[in-house]
Amino acid sequence: MDDATRIEIFRKMLLSRRLEERVRQLSMAGELPATLHPGAGQEACQVAALAALRPDDPMLYGHRGLAYWIARGLPPEKILCDIAFKEGGTNGGKGGVMHVVDPSRGIFGESGTLGGNFVIGVGVALAEKMRKTGRVVIMFFGDGTSNRGQFHEAANFAAVKKLPAIFFCENNGWAVSVSAKVSTAVENIADRAAGYGMPGKVVDGNDIDAVYNATREAAERARQGEGPSLIEAKVQRFLGHYLGDPEPYRTKEDVAKLREKDPLPRLQQDLVKRGLLDDAKLGAFEKEIAETVDRAAEFTRAQPPVAASTALDSVYAT
Amino acid sequence: MSHTLSYGHAIREALVEEMRRDPSVILYGEDVAVYGGIFRVLAGLRDEFGERVFDTPISENVIAGSAVGAAMAGLRPVAELQFADFIHCAADEVILKAGTWRYAHGGAFTLPLVIRAPSGGMGFGPEHSQCPDAYIMHSPGLRLAVPSTPADAKGLLKTAIRMDDPVVFFEHKLLYGMKGEVPDGEHLVPFGKANVRREGSALTIVAWQEMLRRSLEAAERLAKEGLDVEVVDPVTLNPFDRETILASVRKTGACMVVEEAYRTLGVGAEIGAMLMEEAFGDLDRPFRRLAIPDVPIPTAPHLVDAVVPRVDDIVKVARELAPK
Repeated sequence: MDDATRIEIFRKMLLSRRLEERVRQLSMAGELPATLHPGAGQEACQVAALAALRPDDPMLYGHRGLAYWIARGLPPEKILCDIAFKEGGTNGGKGGVMHVVDPSRGIFGESGTLGGNFVIGVGVALAEKMRKTGRVVIMFFGDGTSNRGQFHEAANFAAVKKLPAIFFCENNGWAVSVSAKVSTAVENIADRAAGYGMPGKVVDGNDIDAVYNATREAAERARQGEGPSLIEAKVQRFLGHYLGDPEPYRTKEDVAKLREKDPLPRLQQDLVKRGLLDDAKLGAFEKEIAETVDRAAEFTRAQPPVAASTALDSVYAT
Repeated sequence: MSHTLSYGHAIREALVEEMRRDPSVILYGEDVAVYGGIFRVLAGLRDEFGERVFDTPISENVIAGSAVGAAMAGLRPVAELQFADFIHCAADEVILKAGTWRYAHGGAFTLPLVIRAPSGGMGFGPEHSQCPDAYIMHSPGLRLAVPSTPADAKGLLKTAIRMDDPVVFFEHKLLYGMKGEVPDGEHLVPFGKANVRREGSALTIVAWQEMLRRSLEAAERLAKEGLDVEVVDPVTLNPFDRETILASVRKTGACMVVEEAYRTLGVGAEIGAMLMEEAFGDLDRPFRRLAIPDVPIPTAPHLVDAVVPRVDDIVKVARELAPK
């Protein structure tokens, strides 16, 4: 990974974290609907995986946070407008924060029912392969979603058809309130890859190099026609499943322990050590990001709500 | 000019023509490529089109779901579910993904896909005999074709493949062998245009596929008794041509629907509700439905005959609805 990529990953992680903090703040204040499933703690693997792909490689993202879209360069105000159901978002109030979309950036959307991403994603991969575009599809999912039947069908189909696809698991150990210890018999989701005849690899999801290299390797393999891969990033969810989740299933001490693994200060220290970041540069980043977030929030505040008459649009193309 | 084709061969001819015309059309499903489809209507397509025709694992979620993904990414997939009943296995992919993905993502995608599935009774029991028309008609975002003749089977499938919306295409098993005239040359049948299969003045019967065939047979018998019934084939259930049915009912003053599906909340219930809303003053006799009486479809032929409307049943109800 070159230095510029390393710094860009940091900047996008920081922007994702700060933007999410603003969304939480505005949601708690009642200005935004509290619909976000926060992703704090998981940004490193999301941003680093996407940094290892081409900007137009199709992506089907997971429920956790905003970093998938920030990584693809989607302007923050578009995300806020989708959350706020205002004009200027990407889906016109039809899908809210769960269906942010921009095909020109390879943002192909998300299935509201967990597992839908798998079967749709392998269909996109089928088209990319048959059309010989050289693109690779990445499907993000959590450890919880790996227990949907669609995972099995799609993994087998992708492997037998040697489709250019990456199954990217963010294992944070929780499916809403259910611990992976209760839901899943294997220690590693990546162990399941062997059952489908595809490589499976476990990486530290807080280590951008490990994530980047594994994703790059999977993408190269896919582009060479060798088929799909499964990557499992071990990560941690700092916040509840949704904004306002009382989290009766874990203690404050548990969460404090998770926060010690925060990938953001870890990368920050690494960049300082490499001579790529100092206090002045960090200050400039924070200032620029705060201004970006302020501008996005102000833009969103000033936008009109999506017109009610549009509720009937977009069902059919013809 | 026209040529004679079976319903099954008409479907095959539509696929061949569209796959020759448009290289983005692909065809896949269980037992589709080597076997030629469980009802063998696709024989030889693999030889002509190579990898554009392929077999899949027994994975209905992936068959239907991958069609949505492939359609988003520039292909025109025609995916086959081996039996229409298997729509229930892939309900998430058909109803929620094909039906709502475009809407949920603000119209960012078109989804030009077709899901073909053989429907209807052949004595295959409760999980291989259904006509799940109402489930699909109930669900926004899906077009639904129910062809009743070889000409319509060909022309509707060609139109379906060219459409930019997801189409569910039910092929009735009992009709695969039915022969009929198919116009030569480019033959496209529009969606949303019902077909008055028989003109009459005494009563309107709405029916499609096997129930249409039985209704037309009943109409011939009724004509001999002096009862002149009109028979309307909706052709597609989404879009649904309300106007042709309403015009017919305004003329005849009575309506019955014959359907090969469960009675409660079936297509007939919807048509009845439509008549209450839009033709209340035009009806001078009660609206009637003939349908499967809310039991799973049995396997033994004589039990099937006890629940699926027969010609005799249609004749009997039509007589009751004769103008006084």
